[in-house]
Amino acid sequence: MASARLELTQLGRSRLLLAFTALEALTFLLLVSLFGLTGSRAPTAVVDEDHGPLAASLVGFLRQAHHSFALRSLSAERARSDLTAGRIVAVITIPPGFSAAVAAGGTVALPVDVDNVDVDLTDDIERAVPSALAAFGRAHGFAGIRVVAAERDLIPHDTGFIPYLVVSALALDALVVAGVLGAVAMTREFEAGTLSQWRLAPVASGWLLAGKLAGAAAVSSAAIGVAAIVVFAGYGIARLHAVTLLLCVAIFTCVGSCVGALLRRSLPVAALFFGLALPLYIDSGALEPERFDGNVIWAIAHASPVYYAVGVLEQAVHGLRVTPEPVSADVAVLVAWAALAAGIASSVVARRAVRS
Amino acid sequence: MPAHRDVEPSSLLTLTSVTRAFGHRTVLDGLSLEVRRAGVTGLVGPNGAGKTTLINLVAGLSRPTSGVIAWDGTPVGYPFPSPIRRRLGLVPQDTALYDELTVSENLRFAAELFGVSEPQRRVGEILDLIGLSERARDRVGVLSGGMRRRVAFGRALVHDPELLVLDEPTLAVDSDNRHAIWDHVRRLRSEGRTVLLSTNYLDEAEALCDVVVALRAGRLVAEGSTAALLRAAGRCVEIDCPDDAVDAVRQSVERLAPGARLDAHGAGLTVHLGSDVAPEPVASAALGTGHVRGVRVRAPDMVEVLEALGERSRG
Repeated sequence: MASARLELTQLGRSRLLLAFTALEALTFLLLVSLFGLTGSRAPTAVVDEDHGPLAASLVGFLRQAHHSFALRSLSAERARSDLTAGRIVAVITIPPGFSAAVAAGGTVALPVDVDNVDVDLTDDIERAVPSALAAFGRAHGFAGIRVVAAERDLIPHDTGFIPYLVVSALALDALVVAGVLGAVAMTREFEAGTLSQWRLAPVASGWLLAGKLAGAAAVSSAAIGVAAIVVFAGYGIARLHAVTLLLCVAIFTCVGSCVGALLRRSLPVAALFFGLALPLYIDSGALEPERFDGNVIWAIAHASPVYYAVGVLEQAVHGLRVTPEPVSADVAVLVAWAALAAGIASSVVARRAVRS
Repeated sequence: MPAHRDVEPSSLLTLTSVTRAFGHRTVLDGLSLEVRRAGVTGLVGPNGAGKTTLINLVAGLSRPTSGVIAWDGTPVGYPFPSPIRRRLGLVPQDTALYDELTVSENLRFAAELFGVSEPQRRVGEILDLIGLSERARDRVGVLSGGMRRRVAFGRALVHDPELLVLDEPTLAVDSDNRHAIWDHVRRLRSEGRTVLLSTNYLDEAEALCDVVVALRAGRLVAEGSTAALLRAAGRCVEIDCPDDAVDAVRQSVERLAPGARLDAHGAGLTVHLGSDVAPEPVASAALGTGHVRGVRVRAPDMVEVLEALGERSRG
């Protein structure tokens, strides 16, 4: 209890650290939101030079074709100018006589000009236009389209990409915020030489460590709580599972304490966490279930606690099973990580109470 | 494991053949000593003598490579059991305080760790004792080095330990704080407490310690009262003379004190006399050579005492 109060007091006196920690939780949320948003709304012009009913229908199907499209109707001159200036990604031109030719059963070439500066955007256009044309043909009963996909969802509800991302971003927050504060709770003791006082006290150092980590976890929870409120209010995610989030905070606080006890200095700790955070995050099923990314990446992911944290959080918030392992196994692995990390930290503290 | 020494009833702490090595470097080499109850025992020696290593062993912060440390005649294992820790207070050399916490909070944290009943009242007593009541709400990080030492001193006393261990308590401390710390140690001695302190300063040992243990290169060189050690170490005669007169002066001194060690330096000679040689005839002989500008007799400093005692112990 005394060591928990000590940690809270120390952190409370470091107001700048607290402010930046809360900000950090929000900026990681923003980071992954931007990651999802960037490139997902490719501005595309449609130039209707036909003005017939089938042209209007095709524009409607183009609008629904792909989430990446941000379709806008422009004149041919404006579209050309915007494409050249880099304000739009592609121009789809519906040529004069399109409606009449299609109605008469003819085949019409649809010009698509693409700014292929980034193949990812080009790929979006290349996927979206044929998809819209197939839907257009099917709706109008054109001959030759004999296969229709009958989608059957594995999960009874759809989850948007951004809502999926922001939940995994909370795992990233837990890694960085709780990990760093857990580590600093240790490194400060090494740097100030105060561990000798732990060794002198008639209390097992494990209890003192537990108190310090409880204090650090409480502050981390508050910082991540701010991010969770933003997720709740700003992203419209109604079901935030506080217990799971606290579990992740506790686990990464323990992991942080282990890193801090081994490195014993704050600067290397910060460099390590910020260096590892994004690779571990990307390789954790943060953007999509990790099992689709190939065996090697999947195997690497299994060595990281972030993978299991994302699995547990996506299950808790969205009801998604994103790891092949059952969520109970994910929880068990996380608890094992925490126990191992805290055990190592406790052992190091007991052995290295004296600075050499 | 060597058998521990026969312990006198007055001994609180006994070290028997204690060795501490770090890799191939032996910092303490087969040291045996006793810390008697109700008195101040001083560990003196130059930097690197092994004082802090010995303090860490005594405080349970480090484990001896070999040898036995016993409390009340009973060997204790590492880490020290809680009852032993409760009997011990340590003021480390680097103070080891929490800079972000106030003076009062640092003391309270220590009080809570040791399970002191009514910790706030005890903190008030300690603040009065160390004379920092008015600075109780100041963060430790803004205090001077001397005040930090006083806080560390207070923290070590907060649980009322039987043995107080001080590692160079006045190192880099100004004169006022130095004397304040001396007063605290004297008060503890008058209250019948047991204190073990290490110091680089002979005057500090002379002012505070009942018994002094002299260490050099990890070995015990001598043990006894400061006065006895100084007497045993003899006296020094500083002879101020020009370079071209050094040989004549040297010959004159060597005739009177054949066993004396003579060190020539830019301003003349330093003659280290054993306790069995009076310095006055040597000074007179030097003056009689006619080349000497001045002569001064002084007590040896710490290094000179340890060298003299070391030479004597080597035989």
